[in-house]
Amino acid sequence: MAAFLLRRLLQGALVVLGVTFTVFVVTRVFGNPVDLMLPLSASAEQRAAFAAELGLDRPLPAQFMQFVGELLRFDFGESTWQRRPAMAVVLERLPNSLLLIGAGLGLAIILALPAGLLAAGRPGGLLDRVVTGISLAGLSMPQFWVGLLLIVLFAVAIPVLPTSGMGTPAHLVLPAVTLALVPFARMTLFVRSQIMEELNRPYIRTALARGLPRSRVLVGHALRNTLVPFLTLVGWELVLALAGYTVVVETVFAWPGMGLVAIQALQRGDLFLVQAIVYTVAVLIVLVNILLDVVFKLVDPRIGLG
Amino acid sequence: MNTTIRRLCATTGMLALLAGGAQAQSIAIAIGSEPSTLDPQLRDDGGERQVNDNIYETLMARTPEGALEPGLATEATQVDETTWEFALREGVTFHNGEPFDADAVVASVERIIDPGNNSEQMAYFGTIAGAEKVDDMTVRILTDGPDPILPSRMYWMKMIPPGYAVEGDLAAAPVGTGPYRFADWSRGESITLERNPDYWGAAPDVEEATYRFVGEAGTRLSGLMAGEFDVITNLLPEFTRTVPKFAAVDGLETSVFVLGTDNELTSDPKVREALNLAIDREAMVEALFQGYAGIAQGHHVNPAAFGFNDDLESYPYDPERARALIEEAGATGQTIQVVGESGRWLKDREQIEAVAGYWAETGLVPEVQIQEFSQYLDSLMGDGPRPDSIFIANSNELLDADREASFIYHMDGAAASNSDAEMAAMIDEARVTTDNAARQDLYDEVFRRGHELNYTVPLFNLQDIYGMSERMEWQPRTDAKLLIKEMVVTE
Repeated sequence: MAAFLLRRLLQGALVVLGVTFTVFVVTRVFGNPVDLMLPLSASAEQRAAFAAELGLDRPLPAQFMQFVGELLRFDFGESTWQRRPAMAVVLERLPNSLLLIGAGLGLAIILALPAGLLAAGRPGGLLDRVVTGISLAGLSMPQFWVGLLLIVLFAVAIPVLPTSGMGTPAHLVLPAVTLALVPFARMTLFVRSQIMEELNRPYIRTALARGLPRSRVLVGHALRNTLVPFLTLVGWELVLALAGYTVVVETVFAWPGMGLVAIQALQRGDLFLVQAIVYTVAVLIVLVNILLDVVFKLVDPRIGLG
Repeated sequence: MNTTIRRLCATTGMLALLAGGAQAQSIAIAIGSEPSTLDPQLRDDGGERQVNDNIYETLMARTPEGALEPGLATEATQVDETTWEFALREGVTFHNGEPFDADAVVASVERIIDPGNNSEQMAYFGTIAGAEKVDDMTVRILTDGPDPILPSRMYWMKMIPPGYAVEGDLAAAPVGTGPYRFADWSRGESITLERNPDYWGAAPDVEEATYRFVGEAGTRLSGLMAGEFDVITNLLPEFTRTVPKFAAVDGLETSVFVLGTDNELTSDPKVREALNLAIDREAMVEALFQGYAGIAQGHHVNPAAFGFNDDLESYPYDPERARALIEEAGATGQTIQVVGESGRWLKDREQIEAVAGYWAETGLVPEVQIQEFSQYLDSLMGDGPRPDSIFIANSNELLDADREASFIYHMDGAAASNSDAEMAAMIDEARVTTDNAARQDLYDEVFRRGHELNYTVPLFNLQDIYGMSERMEWQPRTDAKLLIKEMVVTE
């Protein structure tokens, strides 16, 4: 186990470095970040002076060496947009994003498992059609639009929740529901099809033939055996949430998380903040994957950690 | 007797409380982005200005219509070509008790031009060489050459307390001389300002203001409709019918296409004239802006700016003439590049596509390229070949025509696409002419020439539209400053 963890951590570190370096190159090679940082009226001399002050006028390899040196000291430089250490901005916003993701994905998982089971219990029945219908609708509606729709419905027409912002548990409801919708839909359809497949297997038929209650067979046998693929999907949704859902949901709801900051940093050419954000997201994604491998092993002893 | 007095006291107390309650107005303002820092001298950041314009003040101020007037200085006089002298207002103190005097002005100027501070605002202060104290209440600002715009520049430079700037934390807890003082910043959520009881000017109506940061226009609108906000910025024109109240005011931005006058197609004056005549600007104002935009008067200069040419008129809509000109030029069927971006300025993509549609009717074949913003900036200001036409909504913060002239008309300007040395010489001269009348004459000539040669395709003077709750009374300003002291709550 220890050897496995060590190897995965090393692999993960390579992935994180690869991603970070790619971002380093891409942000410097395409477009001039100083143009994004300064007002349009800045003169050519001011642009040059600004670039020199940030070290952006030096050749790429020299910049790269400095970047690597600072990275080793966990120093991501100063955000040009916020004028404070880039990592401080990330660490300030990360908990907000994790709260949102936790609430949204938690909600999706809690609802998807029973919904998928119920739908699979009687394929083609009314319940199945309702659940499948909701899931397909959830997958087809853009999150952006769903968010605005929920705001208009539950904050303006029926003013029970705040439209945007953060601060109280009530503020979390609409963003979490918006974020939950797509993962819920995908998880529900997945659980449904997995269970239906599982129900056709001989061991299930045997269990039913022995007179075990259907509900016990569903939960105790079929569901248990879909857990590993289900967790894989949860992991995938977690990655999508970290790298995408939060950007949309946080923008719509003015939720002060990392996704919102990522967009703003990109718009303002804030290389140093973008680098810190990408690094952090990459680290989180690697950790999620390692965690999943360990959980798989615990859930299914047949899986080796070779 | 005792009871009577006690009762009297109780009643007076209650009355005082009631009166106080009626005055203690607290409002919520939704702006598009959170200030990156509350240091007023480092960044060029609209969110930061929307907050700090209430905390800090400048030597010069402007009327809501945009005319310069005294601010923290009572008088500005030009001593010689490179020196301006400012007499300072007496009895002004910073929120922390530091006096506002010549030392504060010198410290403010020196801090902003210090290369070590790498202030983005140097785009506005590039000519300033330093400041000198004459006596406690008189200060001189020195420029590196004749600078007629210096008073306008001093309307942009916020005055900071010299002691606190060194010992305190301007970035997180700002201290100015303004009508409001900083109360709280809960990062990511809100900023709260409270009325400054010791303000030197008239006491404003609003007691407390809370800023919220909502980037998405639809969400801001929802917050206003739900009663969470009293003022929201950047209301889309189509929502003016929805909100309880709104106010539109001429803004700082003018949308324009810059034509590449050295390019094969657009070097032909006939083609350029056709491009101007082909556009039905009135129809666009109605369709895109619901009427809330002004048609540019034949040049791309902000009408409130010094140097605006009052004699020019907007280009007429004459599609037949445009088509004939294209035919005469033998350009029918030729491709014209139409470069722009999306999401940065009000209705930018819509303007670009509408104009391309009009140009298509002249016989030209527009090739629209909506570029990612940094790529777009490279097209606009980079060293590569100029596009035949490129869209920009140019902002004039200092309300002086030098901005539009130097940036877009001057052959060495960052966004210019011509090689007209004669025009460039006039612009250079206007930059250093300190006699206002002579300077206006130069600009009149520059813009007449640009108009006649059709160097640009001016479109609209964009308006800023604010949504307001029923209880708000407020007329927004041309300079886009969001001044809480000018807001009144009626309730």
